[in-house]
Amino acid sequence: MLKTSATDVIPEKKVEAKQKSKFKLTANDKYYASIFAGPSLFLLGLFVFYPMFRTLYISLFLTNTFGNTTLFVGLENYVKLISSPDFVSSMWVTLVYVVGVTFFTIAMGLLLANLASQKLPGIAIFRTLYSVTMGVSVSVAAIFWLFIFNPSAGFFTLLTKMLNLPTINWLANPTNAMWAIIITTVWMHLGFVFLVFLGAIESVPTTLYEAADVEGVSKHYQFFHITLPMISPTLFFISTITIIGSFKSFGLIDLITKGGPTNATNMLVYRIYNDAFFGGNYAKSSAEAIILTVIIAFFTYLQFKFLEKKVNY
Amino acid sequence: MSKYKKLVLPLILVLAVAVVAMFGKTLSTKSATVKDNRTEVVFWHEMGGPAEKSLMKIVDGFNKSQTKYHVVPKYQGSYDAAIQKILQTHGTGTSPAVFQAFDISAAQMMHSKFTVPVQDFIDKDGFDANKISPVARSFYANDGKQQAMPFNTSQPVLYYNASLLEKYGITPPPVSPSYSDITRVAKQLYERSHHQVKGMTVQIYGWLLEQAMANAGVGLTNNNDGHTGIPTKATINNDASKEFFEWIRENQKAGDFMNYGSGAMAGTNQTTGFLNGKVGIYIQSSASISQLNKKNKNKLGITYFPHPDGKKANGVAIGGAALWISNDKPKAVQNGAFEFIKYSLKPEVQAQWQKDTGYLALNKDSQQTSILKGLYKQHPESKVPSQQLQEAVPNHFNSGILMEGMQKTRQIEQFAMESIYNGGDITNALKDTDKKIDDNLTTTNRANGYH
Amino acid sequence: MSTLLTNVCKQYDQGKTVLKNVTAEIETGEFFVIVGPSGCGKSTLLRMIAGLTQISDGEISIDGQVVNNLPPKDRNLTMVFQSYALFPFLSVWDNVAFGLKARKHDQSEVEERVNNALKMVNLEDLKDRKPRELSGGQRQRVALARAVASDAKICLMDEPSSNLDAQLRIKMRQEIYALQRKLGITLIYVTHDQVEAMTMADHIMVLHDSKVQQIGTPAEIYKTPANEFVAGFFGVPPINILYATKISDKAIRVNNDFQVDLDQTVTEKELKVGIRPNELVVEKADELSANATVQNVEFLGDEKIVYATFSNGNEVSAIVPSDAHFDMFENIKISSTNNVLLFNQDGINVTANREDLINA
Repeated sequence: MLKTSATDVIPEKKVEAKQKSKFKLTANDKYYASIFAGPSLFLLGLFVFYPMFRTLYISLFLTNTFGNTTLFVGLENYVKLISSPDFVSSMWVTLVYVVGVTFFTIAMGLLLANLASQKLPGIAIFRTLYSVTMGVSVSVAAIFWLFIFNPSAGFFTLLTKMLNLPTINWLANPTNAMWAIIITTVWMHLGFVFLVFLGAIESVPTTLYEAADVEGVSKHYQFFHITLPMISPTLFFISTITIIGSFKSFGLIDLITKGGPTNATNMLVYRIYNDAFFGGNYAKSSAEAIILTVIIAFFTYLQFKFLEKKVNY
Repeated sequence: MSKYKKLVLPLILVLAVAVVAMFGKTLSTKSATVKDNRTEVVFWHEMGGPAEKSLMKIVDGFNKSQTKYHVVPKYQGSYDAAIQKILQTHGTGTSPAVFQAFDISAAQMMHSKFTVPVQDFIDKDGFDANKISPVARSFYANDGKQQAMPFNTSQPVLYYNASLLEKYGITPPPVSPSYSDITRVAKQLYERSHHQVKGMTVQIYGWLLEQAMANAGVGLTNNNDGHTGIPTKATINNDASKEFFEWIRENQKAGDFMNYGSGAMAGTNQTTGFLNGKVGIYIQSSASISQLNKKNKNKLGITYFPHPDGKKANGVAIGGAALWISNDKPKAVQNGAFEFIKYSLKPEVQAQWQKDTGYLALNKDSQQTSILKGLYKQHPESKVPSQQLQEAVPNHFNSGILMEGMQKTRQIEQFAMESIYNGGDITNALKDTDKKIDDNLTTTNRANGYH
Repeated sequence: MSTLLTNVCKQYDQGKTVLKNVTAEIETGEFFVIVGPSGCGKSTLLRMIAGLTQISDGEISIDGQVVNNLPPKDRNLTMVFQSYALFPFLSVWDNVAFGLKARKHDQSEVEERVNNALKMVNLEDLKDRKPRELSGGQRQRVALARAVASDAKICLMDEPSSNLDAQLRIKMRQEIYALQRKLGITLIYVTHDQVEAMTMADHIMVLHDSKVQQIGTPAEIYKTPANEFVAGFFGVPPINILYATKISDKAIRVNNDFQVDLDQTVTEKELKVGIRPNELVVEKADELSANATVQNVEFLGDEKIVYATFSNGNEVSAIVPSDAHFDMFENIKISSTNNVLLFNQDGINVTANREDLINA
């Protein structure tokens, strides 16, 4: 109390100093800061930072059968990975998958959301149908699609047979398997993405479209020049989480292709899992994990640097 | 000091919550299971489904016969996952006294030095191991010592749809067929069914490639598949594996070969395809037989694993898993574990086990039991896998591969199979396979200090 | 060459009637205001003219062409929305150019028209700003500029000033009026504010209860309202409506109290009388002669409004000179000049037209 009343008389420079000192923590502040931030810092440290640094550490060693570090090799694991055509192909495969999944998820999500936002009788049924995959777990989706892709009795096989077309062996051919995984992932993501897009489209003021109608702007032009820019923050959000999410895709790959055939769907995450828990090579898999982290961080940085500016109006 | 005093209370709270969360559950389960004064023997296994039921019958039978020991079975999920758990819990209170570990982890288990060789107990007890199938025993033996006791054992056999063969008037293959015997049947089936039925398939599964080499009498690695030293080089690029792949390619070219891929459902799709008469011949574990007998509306035919033309079959190695005894438990518990192993190998127990699950009875005397006699009467073809097992004379190449990193090796083998099935050059694929396995071997040996 | 509404009706599927038999002629180049309380259907009517809402029955024609089934773009009109409908992600310049670009006009033509329009609404300096960087009035100007740039002959405005504060509203009102006169366009303007209607319109349409109450010039609407509703809707403070009884052919007693002698003959026995606040006469009075009590007095500068209650509880407001002094709860005597409006029991204006009287 005394201190505040004193500010009235102290000269300007000291007032400044006094104001700065407001942001200095008192002992009491520190006490509360540690109570509030302490537990979460403790948990973060235990479950995020420690494993992260441990991974980095392990990646500089060779590990034996029991996963213990035995021989320091510096960057050897990294050099080996980057010069291995197998790993490089995995990076390409991951890239193709991420780009494919992101593109088709967003395109399909937008298309369906745009359709479902039309004011038509009975549209509510379609809204429910389109969003239904949100409640489907990865394992259920995998089983569902495995039935569809089944080479002797699957839906696609029956369809092609009925139309007298050559049968496609979805999971045995490298290119088809990639498509199969992309289709399945897109299908999985679609429900959520559709709902988010629908919400975004519905929140665009209708007067914007009416104004455009009055001015004689075609629906097509309206979609690309009103809807898209208006929902661009959502678009940015969805593309970011879809890209990161598909980099981390694991369940569907494990349940459908197991990375095959000929590593055609062996994404980085699956390779990490494989090398650690099947190969027992924790060092190699740690190095792969670090590389994946760097790639995701790089993509996220790019997105925020170049896209975020454009979407904030 | 007073600065830190304020932190004490919240810190204690956080730690207390963490401690309770971690140990609360273990404490409560421990207090619940202690109920009689027999010595408790914890047994980890990975048998799911019908095999688990049958295994529980064995455990119950043992527990009822015992006044000294009591076996507590605990299911551990897949073979792969269990290996990691066994290695990571060794020396802690939760580790098992006896555990089931699958074939390709044998080298890893041996090198871990976490187990007591079963041989020690055999010698002390005077147990007659000669009753047990030699080719199965040799898989888990090293330096003339039995390391673990084979338990659930299978071998790959060739299944064919006998009803379809009859329908199209095709002569069945001989009991120990060559590649060209199978090719003949597959082609005839495909042609005579007017392409409605595919002749054959060979699943993209590393085990089958290994068995093709074993049956041809060649090794996958140097040092005799690891039986005379730590493997340092892979030798998959050999004439036997080339012949195996050329056999497949010939059938692919003829159009009678079905490729089910390597996906998660490949095995299931293949079995469904066989049961539905979409494919006439396939190679699978002998343990599939009970499933094939139960659901099959067609007559089932079985032969040995096929061998290269103009050669005698060397015999295939066994698959499945063995029982190992941990060295981190008191002697009394270890003895109890061996008692359980002994019980599990009794002729009647093994016979019932074969009847229930399709895994092969390992005790020679099992064949004379009324249980198996009855089974053979009902399904004469069920005898074929047992014969294959009994006929095999163990040598280095049909006793499994004693090498660490077999899981990864299988994946590399499968990669080769996939690329060949998709039209890739056979020799290049095999060379590439050797190179990849060599790389892994080098790293593994360096990391573990094997020189 | 005008916009014709003939028996235009709007009903929603649930059977709710929004508009019933709206008939009007809007002449080319005039400032036409549609006014009414909220929920009267005025915005719906505007949207039907624009083509954004289908009409249920009747006919709308523009320049002799029936447009009932024409989409908005083919009606050659432009519209300013209440929310202005500006694109938040585009600059002022691009907002104005949006429709022109979409319709693939020549680059140079777009530039010329946009620049002219911006000049016309004094927004040239702000052309690179985004809408969020503009004040409410500036945003409205962008919307106006868009209407100007479109070059349409008819401009529809849906309560464009309702988001502005009172000061700004007066200013923008003047600007809109000046703009309409300068461009010579037909402006159809919807508002709930009677002052806006009175000050800007060439003709006013009063909507209430889904029906047109009256169409006329501001003076006609004010002086000879068609009915009690119209009389009450225009004028501040609103007109006082009181009950009256006939006491002779040319005299009535208002509120069972004071007498008003009329220039016309009264036919009904019972009627309602409408007296504008400035036609009421307020005098100080003693307890005996007083018929009302002052409730409140508002000082407006050059005049005062006296709110009073008659002894029977009816309330009235009266305008008195600013130098007259009344206190709260003071007893007063209220009477009226004979410049009053007469309504029958149904609220229909039965006042004889003054010109008719003179001619008679």
